[in-house]
Amino acid sequence: MTADMPPSTAAVSPMKLLGIGLPLLYSTTFFVAPLAFLVVLGFWLVEDFQVVPAFSLENYADIAQHMFAKSNYALAIAQSLWVSISTALLAVLLCYPMVLAIVYVAPPSRHRLFLMLAVAPFWSSYVLRLFSWQILLANKGIINSALAWAGLEHLQFTLIYTQTATRIGLIHYLAPILIVVLYVTVASIDRDLIQAARDLGATRWQAFRRVILPMSRTGLVVSGSFAAIISFGDVLSGALLGGGAGRSVLGSVPLFSNMIMTEYASATNLPRTAALAMILVLVMVVMLAAGAALAERGKVDAS
Amino acid sequence: MAAATQPGANPLAADGRWWRVAGRLYMAIGYVFLVLPIATMIVFSFQKGQFAAIPGQGWSLRWYSKLFEDGTLLEALRNSLIVSPLAATGACVLGFFAAYALNRFMFRGRGAFSVLLVLPVLIPPLILGVAFLGLLSRIGLQGQLFSVFLTHVVVVTAPAMAVIQLRLGQMPRALEEAAWDLGATELQTLYKVVLPFALPGIAGGWLLAFTFSFDEFIIAWFVSGFEQTLPVAVYAYIVGSVDPSLNAVGSIVFALSVLSLIGVELLLFPLLLSRRRTAA
Amino acid sequence: MDLLSHIAPPRQVDLELRGVTKTFSNFVALEHIDFSIERGEFVAIMGPSGCGKTTLLRIVAGLEAMSSGQLLLRGQDISALPVHKRSTRLVWQNFALFPHLNVRQNIAFGLTLRRYNKAAVKTKVESIAELVQLSQFLDRRISQLSGGQKQRVAIARALVTEPEILLLDEPLSALDAHLRIRMQSEMKRLQQRLGLSFLYVTHNQSEAFSMADRVVVMNKGHIEQFGPPEEIYTRPKTHFVAEFVGSNNIFDGKVVDVQGDLIIVQCADAVIGAAVRERPPGKGSTVSLVVQADKVRSQPSGTAGENSLSAVLSGREFTGSQVIYHLETAGGIAVKMVVQEPFSQAERASINMPMQLYWSPADTVVLRPNIVPSIENMPGGRSYVALGT
Repeated sequence: MTADMPPSTAAVSPMKLLGIGLPLLYSTTFFVAPLAFLVVLGFWLVEDFQVVPAFSLENYADIAQHMFAKSNYALAIAQSLWVSISTALLAVLLCYPMVLAIVYVAPPSRHRLFLMLAVAPFWSSYVLRLFSWQILLANKGIINSALAWAGLEHLQFTLIYTQTATRIGLIHYLAPILIVVLYVTVASIDRDLIQAARDLGATRWQAFRRVILPMSRTGLVVSGSFAAIISFGDVLSGALLGGGAGRSVLGSVPLFSNMIMTEYASATNLPRTAALAMILVLVMVVMLAAGAALAERGKVDAS
Repeated sequence: MAAATQPGANPLAADGRWWRVAGRLYMAIGYVFLVLPIATMIVFSFQKGQFAAIPGQGWSLRWYSKLFEDGTLLEALRNSLIVSPLAATGACVLGFFAAYALNRFMFRGRGAFSVLLVLPVLIPPLILGVAFLGLLSRIGLQGQLFSVFLTHVVVVTAPAMAVIQLRLGQMPRALEEAAWDLGATELQTLYKVVLPFALPGIAGGWLLAFTFSFDEFIIAWFVSGFEQTLPVAVYAYIVGSVDPSLNAVGSIVFALSVLSLIGVELLLFPLLLSRRRTAA
Repeated sequence: MDLLSHIAPPRQVDLELRGVTKTFSNFVALEHIDFSIERGEFVAIMGPSGCGKTTLLRIVAGLEAMSSGQLLLRGQDISALPVHKRSTRLVWQNFALFPHLNVRQNIAFGLTLRRYNKAAVKTKVESIAELVQLSQFLDRRISQLSGGQKQRVAIARALVTEPEILLLDEPLSALDAHLRIRMQSEMKRLQQRLGLSFLYVTHNQSEAFSMADRVVVMNKGHIEQFGPPEEIYTRPKTHFVAEFVGSNNIFDGKVVDVQGDLIIVQCADAVIGAAVRERPPGKGSTVSLVVQADKVRSQPSGTAGENSLSAVLSGREFTGSQVIYHLETAGGIAVKMVVQEPFSQAERASINMPMQLYWSPADTVVLRPNIVPSIENMPGGRSYVALGT
């Protein structure tokens, strides 16, 4: 911590003014204002291709009408919820053993290397990575054609433009973050506790179930919620791998986030898009609350 | 059978060969999954065929030359290389001021100030994109590269500030006091003592901010117009056609990112791992 | 006969503190500090942690503001002057050297802040480096220096700007013991050679006493005693000073008789005589008697008029530089005595051996309760002030 300039200096420290004022000003103008305006924008209208200030519930009424019919927003929201939550669960389920392997199997001197490798996907652009996945997963793409070439036609699949493909893209996107966060959680578990359990005769599996897993709980829940929320707001995987309205258990329904994007692209009705965005925010806040509640319950159970 | 009880030894190691084998296997599969798209991108940027498939049709540099002839993607790359460094610089300026103020002064609302600056990272970029477009179009600043710059600064200030704060936290308070005691004004102390000290943090923060801005898609998609950044142009390309030039541009981007992230690794990780305050 | 030669030249006052007080919302860090330092004087401030000595130093430097009071530097009121405008210089315990600059640049820092003549700066830096024996290290990086070298750079950096007083905050605490002792004499020599006033904060008694011309003993935000080291050592004025400085025996008792400049005090089962300068306390008053452990002896036997005490050896303490015997009288009085032990262990005194202890009343300092109100004198608390103050 740096030292506070004593009050005997003349006037207020200019660095205090600048240091607090400048970022504050910028944040207020370009962050707080747009978000506040977003709320307001949802009540405005479009007339003759111009955005007109108003106080009208027309956008929300219109959206409500389309909730279960025509555009079917409700279904899109359901699809988004379904995909994001299942993706988050899957991502955590797949990354957790990975982290366990890094922490307990890999030699400690190599941890940093393995973490850097895990963050490697970050080294390329997300959108370009998705293009790679596209050509990998396409019906006549790299994997399928390789299978054919190896004489394994029966293993070929049709994944592209399904939400399964979306999930693959999302998990690939989330993996680096999840691995790093979960690593921090698991690595901080006191090895002496595990040692004690083992000394008392516990098998590896028991040591895991009784010591490691409960202590990872908060980290798992937090990263899972994080993953769900990020997935919910994502547009790229759903668009490029899911084909915009990828097939899932719920049918060929677009993700809500993709829907917002395509609607804006086709109609450029900004107030309406703003209203839709507010609904997205609402659903996300509910998800956050649920995640927080889960984390709290986890803390209580563990104590 | 109890495991070896040396302090610091891996309590789950000792025997249990199968676990180790399973662990290594899982890690191998995991890393293949993580690296697959990047490897694909690089390999197939040199493939002759229009449609990526195995077996390939031979090696060629045609996609790289097409990339340079066509120009759309290159122009987008150029745009990104203008906007992102500028955004990173803006973020570092704001981030430095904020980090300095937070480090040195105890003021009311310190916590709220900190939260406010970190908040943009927590809000889904889709929402931010719509919000930014809303305000910017109101003041006529939408549809330009400048709009992307303005909005990216908001979003990447947080990581830049975090890294700079980490570094400033390592500065002993006596260092500034010594400068003042020797007769330096606040401004002189800032550029003669604080900035040189904070430099690794500022550099690391800049690289991190640059990386995030360079890859940012959705906000740029909303606020930019005819001058597109790279992710936006790539997206349009992918949706429009299947063109292996994308592999070429992807490989170039990958190379750029590797360079900048090696820089981050060289600057950031030593910072993150050293907990000692350097008292000269 | 030249009358003027009998008149000492007027002593110049370098630093004067008047009523310096520092309060925080819940406690008082400094209470009404008054003292002054003369030109070329080495003054040490000594006290236990939390007594406020560092706070005081920082207030003089301008790094902290005082709540009330006045600071005068060579007659000029600097109370409201910001830190960077003061001609005080501070030397930190952990050196506070600038890591990105080399030794030469660190030393030159203060000089380069205003418009400067490069050649003049170079000369100044080199001459100060020679003074502190750093000439061959000028182009080294800070990280390449040892602790002692770093401390000398810190001192050189401060001195090259020609301050009016040098403030030092436990500058030798970060060095190891033998280096400390060497640096102590180097520092004292430097100070005398420059004729510059030093205000030196330390918690180490021997350091303060070996270097300082006068010592300020502080406790809980106020000054307990201020004077030359010998005076503080042999004539402690308060209970705190008696306990804190040196190795002292403190006996509490009641005055039973006053005989001119001698008072007789009853302490438990012992009767002790103490010499008094002026205004002896009356019969029946409670006093504390302070006797230095090295003024107590068992040989040679006591002469007439000396105090004598029968005690039994209960413990032996080896401090490295001294051996201290702990004894106890039948009435439960604890006594400490510094001894020179015979080399052969066989000839040494053994535990539980009875011994007769002697010391002179002239070596017995009398403290009595001070009824002047102060923090210490809240109802229930008492502070003892020596007679003759």
